[in-house]
Amino acid sequence: MSRSRSARVKAWPRLSRRGTTLVVVGVLLLAVSLWFDLRDILLLAFVGIAMPLVAIAFVALRTPRLAVTRMFAPPVVGAGGATRVALIVKNRSRRTFDGAHWRDRVPDGLKGPAEAILPAVGPYEGVLPSGDDTLRLEYRLRMPRRGVFSIGPLVIGIADPFGLARIDREVGTGHEVVVTPRVTPLDAALGTAASVDGVLHGLQRRTHPNSDELIAREYRYGDPLRRVNWAATARRGELMVREEEQRGDPEARLILDTTLAGRPKASSLRRERDDGGHIGYELGIEIAASVGVHLLERGYRVRCDHLADPEHGALSPASPGGYRMPGGDRALLEDLARLEGPARIGSGAALEVASDAEARPRAREARMPGVVVLVDPDEQDARSVIAMRSGFEPAIAFVLESVAQGVVDALEEADWRVVRVRRPAEIAGAWAGTALPARHQAPARAARSRAVVPRPEAVTPDEP
Amino acid sequence: MNLDPVPLTRAQRLALTTASFLFLVVATMSLGPLIAGSGWWWLCAFIAAGVLFSGVGLRALRTTAALVPVLELVVLLLLLTLVFSAGSSIALIIPTQGTFETFAQLISGAARTIEQQSVPAIPVPALTFALAFGVGVLAVLVDILVQTVRMPALAAAPALVPILIPGFIIEAGAEVPTLVLAAAAYLLLLRIDVRVRRRARLAAGDLDDDAATVVPPKRVPIASTLGATLGLAAVGILTASLLAASTPSISTSLLLGTPGQGTLFARGVSPFIDLGRDLRRPAPRPAFHYLARDGDRPYFTLLTLDRFEGEVWGVTEQAVDGDNTVDAMPRPDGLSSAVETSEHPIDVVVDEVRTTWLPVPYPATSIEGLDGSWFWDDGSLTVRSVDTNTAGQRYRVNRLEIDPTPAQLRAAPRDLPDELAPFLELPDELPAIIGETAASVTAGAGSPYDAAVAIQAYLRSNEFDYSTEAPVAEGYDGGGFDVIAKFLEVRAGYCVQFAATMAVLARESGIPARISIGYTQGSPSDDRVNGVQRVEVDTHDLHSWPELYFEGVGWVPFEPTPGRGTVPGYSRPGAGEGTNTPTQSAAPATPGASDRPDVDADRGLAGGTSDPFATNAWWIRGGSLTLAVIALLLIPAAIRAGQRLTRRRRIRAGEWAADAAWEELTATAADLGAGVADVETPRAVAARLGEREAFIAAEPRTALIALRDAVERERYGPAQLGPGTPGQDLLDELSVALAALAADAGPAERLRAALAPRSLFARVRRAFGERPPAGA
Repeated sequence: MSRSRSARVKAWPRLSRRGTTLVVVGVLLLAVSLWFDLRDILLLAFVGIAMPLVAIAFVALRTPRLAVTRMFAPPVVGAGGATRVALIVKNRSRRTFDGAHWRDRVPDGLKGPAEAILPAVGPYEGVLPSGDDTLRLEYRLRMPRRGVFSIGPLVIGIADPFGLARIDREVGTGHEVVVTPRVTPLDAALGTAASVDGVLHGLQRRTHPNSDELIAREYRYGDPLRRVNWAATARRGELMVREEEQRGDPEARLILDTTLAGRPKASSLRRERDDGGHIGYELGIEIAASVGVHLLERGYRVRCDHLADPEHGALSPASPGGYRMPGGDRALLEDLARLEGPARIGSGAALEVASDAEARPRAREARMPGVVVLVDPDEQDARSVIAMRSGFEPAIAFVLESVAQGVVDALEEADWRVVRVRRPAEIAGAWAGTALPARHQAPARAARSRAVVPRPEAVTPDEP
Repeated sequence: MNLDPVPLTRAQRLALTTASFLFLVVATMSLGPLIAGSGWWWLCAFIAAGVLFSGVGLRALRTTAALVPVLELVVLLLLLTLVFSAGSSIALIIPTQGTFETFAQLISGAARTIEQQSVPAIPVPALTFALAFGVGVLAVLVDILVQTVRMPALAAAPALVPILIPGFIIEAGAEVPTLVLAAAAYLLLLRIDVRVRRRARLAAGDLDDDAATVVPPKRVPIASTLGATLGLAAVGILTASLLAASTPSISTSLLLGTPGQGTLFARGVSPFIDLGRDLRRPAPRPAFHYLARDGDRPYFTLLTLDRFEGEVWGVTEQAVDGDNTVDAMPRPDGLSSAVETSEHPIDVVVDEVRTTWLPVPYPATSIEGLDGSWFWDDGSLTVRSVDTNTAGQRYRVNRLEIDPTPAQLRAAPRDLPDELAPFLELPDELPAIIGETAASVTAGAGSPYDAAVAIQAYLRSNEFDYSTEAPVAEGYDGGGFDVIAKFLEVRAGYCVQFAATMAVLARESGIPARISIGYTQGSPSDDRVNGVQRVEVDTHDLHSWPELYFEGVGWVPFEPTPGRGTVPGYSRPGAGEGTNTPTQSAAPATPGASDRPDVDADRGLAGGTSDPFATNAWWIRGGSLTLAVIALLLIPAAIRAGQRLTRRRRIRAGEWAADAAWEELTATAADLGAGVADVETPRAVAARLGEREAFIAAEPRTALIALRDAVERERYGPAQLGPGTPGQDLLDELSVALAALAADAGPAERLRAALAPRSLFARVRRAFGERPPAGA
């Protein structure tokens, strides 16, 4: 992590309450001494006035040379979790640094540690470091919300030895901590759906068109004879069989409504009120994260796109081809974490041309699982979702409360499996509900509306 | 006002107390120029140490914080008993009834001694008691501020008391080194407080769950900030000294147009105040009586005026010298062994005269049997007290009777020692008539003595009339040179004019002269005690007379006033080998005539300037006292107003805005006696306030509810909603709610809320209710 030696002036030096009192008393004494012509008190009056001013000059001139290293453990933390922030402060100056307070600057909405005393640190040890010039600070930072937060810089409040004046200086730079959306563990609902098998085979065929190139291995008992690779057997003088990949590379699509195109245009006012973020938007991201991680754990390659541009609107330019394990879950979560508030991307006209050109041919070839998370789509979004139906099997649409009833009806008309989610606790139950055949949807919906608690068989499958 | 919750260890409390002790003791040191010696300071240091360190001990025993100051006062009482009244106490320190009587006497004595002593004062027991008591009380105050309230910066307030006193009493004020030391001690206290606070907070840092863990380096030099501390203190004090030195003096006269006499403490002592009171008695009152075994009938001197400033005669102010105790008085100045002297004891019983000056014949060798501390002044040998007065005194004075022969007086040389020069000083613009008169009267005199005799004879001649009305009628009352010039023309006056004229003429002729004020020999009564005739002296015997100096004989009284007192034998014209005993003239023969002049004796001589001073002093003193009292009374209101401003600023700045608004609302409610307890939740408080009549109307009610919701959201809501609530709405709602509260209360309640806000006192009570923490 980066280091910085500079200590920037954050604010003007200011008098502490004690310093202010001293100045006021000094001025009063000055008035008294001039009024009664008490030359002796004049000295004390000026001590009262001069000391705080000298103290101000002192703190203004005193620039600490500190190097700050900041580390997060863990560096990526799920929303609602906490990370330990570890700071290593090294004194780079030849003099002992004492008499300061510290406070880590955290963005609004997070609660950093209260201002605390910075213990004295010894002078810089160029040779034979014994650690006396180093100070370790550690605190726990709760992360209630998804997002990327810049923690720091360290604010050092320097006071003079008499506590009359102080100045706040920033040391070092801020560092990012990524708070990923909360992930709800999901049942293996999608994997058991019979319809997926065909997709897998199709994928397999498509991704491995030439099985001859596969490496041969020696025959083991039980291998079917039709898999004997005669050419290799001839070369090795030993019975060889074709080695086939155990599994293909199944792909799933995740489409997230990030623009909230359906919400009223004059929504800027609303956003100011609840700076905690759009609740539905955050819920949508949480659904996407849960489903995406679930699919990745099932071995799927997951493409995650913005609803406004399903073909090119990948969440992150770094992974246009989608996420895959290992590491895909973290990348996906991080990209989701970096999503800022609801915003339009690109221009609608260009998108439609592209989607028509590329989406169709593939959809014929192999139908893959598709999950759409709708927060507040407008009609155009709904149309493009309906258009995508042919490429997906199964096609699941998570619909939040804010979605217009007309859109929901249109989706159901187009044979999307529409799942309603109102709060994060319903995600697991809703996902389990998608595993049921469509005709069982009605009771499932009833169960969801009954209680927040997901259906028992979905949560505790082990208990008979 | 915030209470530091961090507990202190015993060592930290001890460090703070030691620093406060040093500060207080150094501040006490600034009284040094006022009081002679240094014993009193050690005593004060002892008392301060006893009080402050007993506080440390009490806190180490985990005494309730509220009880510590009380117990410290008890310790102060025990120490005072030990030092001042060990005789009447049980086991040296337990006070008894007698102890408190002693204390009461000491306190009244202290009041007198502060009135009467001039600087440097003699540390008589009464004064030391007052000092010790004052320092003890200041120590308790300092202890409260430093240890209980934990605001050591405010310890400057009690410590300023001893520092301010010298400035009001003596021109120079406290000594600069002492002041610098005091400033340094104050800074030391601040520094130790900062360090102690830091240490304590570092030690207590782990208590909070979410607080940071801090791993400090293993070794850090202790004196890490010593250089910075010393440098900063040095620069600060040096700057202050430079500023103080370069500030021009703006005297009060520029601001007020009157001399700055409006002080709480007298600058020196005016000898005429007490005397004047006695002199103004309309009917003769017995002053004192005496029994002279040897038949002495001396004049009794109260005080001697030696300085002639043209308009007035005055006393050269002289500090009381603590070594000049009256049990052994020196031989008078200028008296050689050639002059025949004899000692005669005179028993004096004071009747009604009340002054700090003792009526003593000049010269005396010793005085016995006096109560209180009495000291003689150099030169004049007048005797005064620093802590008591003449009331009820019975004493024996050994009078030294001097019998100079005219030959000895005549033989006195003309050249005089330098120290007598002040007794020859005359103003430059002396009216011509004085010089002419002196020259014509003393024309034939061959020696100073002859000149003096000639002057006395001239004034006692028929040309001069004794008249009490003439000076007042002609407008030349007093003793100034204009008066003397007029007197020499009109040739009528009373003792003041005669004495002043003789003194001025003598000075003009080169004879050192001064004026004594006192009593004539009085009138013998028929009573006899042990065969000795009792002589009564009353207020009509008040008199003033000149004394002239002759080398080898010393100060010799003359009597230029016709018809008064006794004319010393040596001063009669043609006195030679005749009788030496003073001839008595018909002193009490004309009581009516002698009444009036002596009533005005002091005013005529020196009191002319004291009256305007007195009225001005009263005006200024009363005014400043009233102002001070008003300012003191307004302090709580000012603090409360400051609090209100701070909270409004917090609301505007959005730092815990709703919290600040709510605090202000509950504080105002508490001020107005709405009975809001600190422990109640906003909801409970709002419910209770809502029942009040003022909140039945819609607007205040909505404002109240909005405030309540805001503070609940801020305190209990998610953190991200915390800061940044809009300030202006809150301010508006707050003012609506406050107006409703105020409208609900009566005017008396409102006044009380403004002047003596209960919310503040609740905080103070909490400060004292704080129990010492378990770890202390």
